[in-house]
Amino acid sequence: MNLLNSIHALSPSLQSLSRIAGDWWLPKGASTFSPEVRFLWILFFVITIFFTALITVLTVYFCIRYRRTPSRQHADPSPDHNMPLEITWTIIPLIIVMVIFALGFKYYMNMNVPPTNAYNIGVKAQKWAWTFTYPNHAVSSTLYLPVNRAVKLSMTSSDVLHGFWIPSLSIQKDVVPGRVMTIWVKPTRVGHYELQCAEYCGNGHSLMRSPVIVAAPEEFNEYLKAAANIWVKNGKAVPLSEVGEDLYSTYGCNGCHTVDGSAGTGPTWKDLAGSQVLLANGQTVTADYAYLKQAILYPGRKLVKNYGNIMPDFYNDFAGPAHTRQRRLNAMIWYINTLSAHANAASRPKVPNIPGAAPQASPAGGQGTTTTKTSAAANSPPLPAAMVAMGKKLYFSMGCNSCHTVNGTHLVGPSWKNLAGYPQALTNGKTEIANYGFLRDMIINPDQLIVKTYSPIMPAMYAAQLAGGAKQTKKLDAIIWYINSLSDRRSAATEPPAAK
Amino acid sequence: MTTMSIREADLAVGKKKNYLNQTNTIWSWLFTLDHKRIGLMYLTAGLTLFFIGGMLAEVVRTQLLVPTGLIFHGTGTIQSSYTAYKHYNQVFTLHGIIMVFMVLVPMIPGALGNFALPLMLGAKDVAFPRLNLFSFWLYIFGALLAIASTIMGAVDTGWTFYTPYSIDTSTYVVLMVSGIFLLGFSSIFTGLNFIVTIHKLRPHGMTWFRMPLFLWATYATAVIQVAATPVLGVTLLLLIVERVMGIGIFNPALGGNPVLFQHFFWFYSHPAVYIMILPAMGIISEIVPTFSRKHIFGYEFIAFSSLAIALIGFMVWGHHLFVNGQSAELDAIFSFLTFLVAVPSAVKVWNWLATMYKGAIQLDTPMLYALSFIILFTIGGFTGVVLGALAEDVVLHDTYFVVGHFHYVMFGGTIIALLGGIHYWWPKMFGKMYNEFWARIACVMLFVGVNLTFFPQLMVGAYGMPRRYASYLPKYQPYMVASTIGAYIQLVAFLIMAAYLLHSLFRGKKAPVNPWGSGSLEWTTSSPPPTDNFDTIPVIGDHYDPYDYSHLQFDPAIGGYVQTEEHVGPHHVDH
Repeated sequence: MNLLNSIHALSPSLQSLSRIAGDWWLPKGASTFSPEVRFLWILFFVITIFFTALITVLTVYFCIRYRRTPSRQHADPSPDHNMPLEITWTIIPLIIVMVIFALGFKYYMNMNVPPTNAYNIGVKAQKWAWTFTYPNHAVSSTLYLPVNRAVKLSMTSSDVLHGFWIPSLSIQKDVVPGRVMTIWVKPTRVGHYELQCAEYCGNGHSLMRSPVIVAAPEEFNEYLKAAANIWVKNGKAVPLSEVGEDLYSTYGCNGCHTVDGSAGTGPTWKDLAGSQVLLANGQTVTADYAYLKQAILYPGRKLVKNYGNIMPDFYNDFAGPAHTRQRRLNAMIWYINTLSAHANAASRPKVPNIPGAAPQASPAGGQGTTTTKTSAAANSPPLPAAMVAMGKKLYFSMGCNSCHTVNGTHLVGPSWKNLAGYPQALTNGKTEIANYGFLRDMIINPDQLIVKTYSPIMPAMYAAQLAGGAKQTKKLDAIIWYINSLSDRRSAATEPPAAK
Repeated sequence: MTTMSIREADLAVGKKKNYLNQTNTIWSWLFTLDHKRIGLMYLTAGLTLFFIGGMLAEVVRTQLLVPTGLIFHGTGTIQSSYTAYKHYNQVFTLHGIIMVFMVLVPMIPGALGNFALPLMLGAKDVAFPRLNLFSFWLYIFGALLAIASTIMGAVDTGWTFYTPYSIDTSTYVVLMVSGIFLLGFSSIFTGLNFIVTIHKLRPHGMTWFRMPLFLWATYATAVIQVAATPVLGVTLLLLIVERVMGIGIFNPALGGNPVLFQHFFWFYSHPAVYIMILPAMGIISEIVPTFSRKHIFGYEFIAFSSLAIALIGFMVWGHHLFVNGQSAELDAIFSFLTFLVAVPSAVKVWNWLATMYKGAIQLDTPMLYALSFIILFTIGGFTGVVLGALAEDVVLHDTYFVVGHFHYVMFGGTIIALLGGIHYWWPKMFGKMYNEFWARIACVMLFVGVNLTFFPQLMVGAYGMPRRYASYLPKYQPYMVASTIGAYIQLVAFLIMAAYLLHSLFRGKKAPVNPWGSGSLEWTTSSPPPTDNFDTIPVIGDHYDPYDYSHLQFDPAIGGYVQTEEHVGPHHVDH
């Protein structure tokens, strides 16, 4: 039936086929790059058709003209080499390909140099969804672009390679994890296009597509306003749980977590809130608010049994300013609660679902059972997100990542995961708790104290970059904040002191 | 050395022992040191794997008949689609791995090279027969490991094993990669063997520039096999080390660099494309002059272009990385070198055409394959040129245009030449002729099928459809349907081929010594040859030229060519 239906659906596509063949096979271009790409493409097309036709015609002609017959058993005499001729047919292809090379390079450089006044959009790729962030903090799963304005896209991947590919806008770039990839485009025609993942990324690769809407400036602003203001619709406050439902698809949670109890890459959200969860380490915890929050912000900490530690990092989307990011977190947890029959006061956020209303009473009569062994980290005040983010950036830009992992595996140096607050055995026989002072000394005077089983090979140059003035100290603290964010034993002793 | 003696050899062949019936125990085949038997075993194993890979391709094409997938599709939820598409991903991954590592790379050197190379040199065997046998068994064990990994949990990484996905996936990557590691060593040993054989076992009088061009092509291929394949081995070992021990080499989560893997991988895999196409060009350089009865045009240009392709081919790998953030300077250099390597390929096409000019062309099956090759390879080559242009690569990278391009080169080039070579040397291998009528039908069907399969892929790729998609936008469907019909036509052509070749093995007409009128040495011994290849050692004079056909005359009585009295070609002396 599937086949029959689609054969039926074929006739409109056949019409589109004839249209496409008319535009030299390419989709109708909609960016400033498109005409250049199209010009070189047509040049290639004409050259290819000419030579392929020439070779085919010569082949067929020779086969007929010089066929072997009973009366013509031998070849006619003709030379078996001719230097000038052979040099000619070496030089001509050489000239043709050099012209194509030069044009290809010229147009490519245009694609590579974004104008300085470009509008910035952040792109996050994960298995198997795209999320876009705009300067006004709006987040969307549809890519909105203003027409006739240069846009620079800064792209990151939270897991594997992805490919950012919009055929109509003539742009493509791989999104490599661990790097920020940039690409720019200036759309020239309003319309609806599609973004498709071009670099193979696993099961959902072919479904990793997003709509792209190129709009006139006013319309574009409307889209952005709507995307930013997910909290209010038609002048009325939207219940947090409904916002959470939107975010569930915006952030691509639906790629791994089902809401109907069926199996997925991650645990289903149905009947999750308030239930007992069996962890990979054998413990059982109750999925209360603190647990759900931790599961979103630090997915690897309390891994659910039978699931891998593969959830992308959403820390920067859900931790931080109370009015935006933390609100999103609460919306998400409210949504998870509405899906569960076990939801109770302990599993719901402290803020009311409908803004302005009083907190709902627990139907279980307040016997909220939080058997979770709350760690020191859970009791600590929230991390300063900006400092953590800065530290994370430095972790990559200063090259810390070449020796220190953040997931517990060991490279040349100790992992930063669960480092802060944990006792460290040193080569001098002593054991010290990795508190703030210890961490600072380790970074600035790396050769003074060496953690057991490691070698004194850390470069000493960091002292110059991280000690001395206020700027340097801020960087150092940012790194230590980041190290703290990776530990479940952080405390006032391990965190940097308040700014002087 | 008269016409009579060759005719006697022809008549005597029925009674005489040859390499096929010299001994007939199973062990005498499995542990043979005879290059011809090893070649036949490669041929059998390779065609079996080609059949498996081909059926996987038919599954892929059938899946893509409808936008949501005909075979593997979800049941309504997105999660069920993911689960279903994983199987599709496994299928196309296996198709790629089998075809690249077990068919395209080893088949022509392993099967046809092994069979023909010592015969063309007038030698008894390759330089190291035991290494040759070892290399065959490495091939078999590599393939078996790959099959084992498929049974336990088929990999879903694509044949390129790009990190970090290949590190994350739960499928049996380590086992599969170990199999490919063994296949790599098999390839290295074959290359080493051929290099030494060509250097050391050429008969007196056969200077480098009097060798048949298939030997030049095999030599250039062997150089790449020996120089590039170790890099693949090291890369795959690093991948295993990373997966098993968690040492961060390619995975950014462990401080590794995923792009490094791509550089390592393509440092082998791009030259590997020339491992696949150079011997194919060598076969065409044998077939075209033979069936045109005319000396190959521009021998030295063809010989040197093989070496040029082999050398420049080492320096173009970065053109697979134009959109992954590599610096623009590197992009420019790799693009430039990519265009350079296109030129020697173009030279060869002109030379083949010039060979046909004023020839006496007979369109027997091998020649039909050679003509198919020339046209399909031209399309494959040109579509490669446009991919080398930086700005165009941006809009074609990782689309079906790339899929269409490399299938034109790999199928339209290598596989068509392989089939041409099989049909060319078949009478020598088995001493039997095949049904010429059905062979021509199958060849023409294949030509139509290949174009119908891969031309729509070029179009839909330019239109924007990405590769490795289990489902796609409905607007791409007409192209996908056409492509699938083409794949079914190919299947029918291959079934016809299997039928007449099997018929030939059991009921085929007896083959003469030289059915096509070729001038190289393998056509001077009986069909099939004796175990020692030649009853008498071929001695070639200072005027030997494998592309001289003036001394050969068709004899209708035996259905083959015989040397005329006044020949200047090779002759035989008694022991």
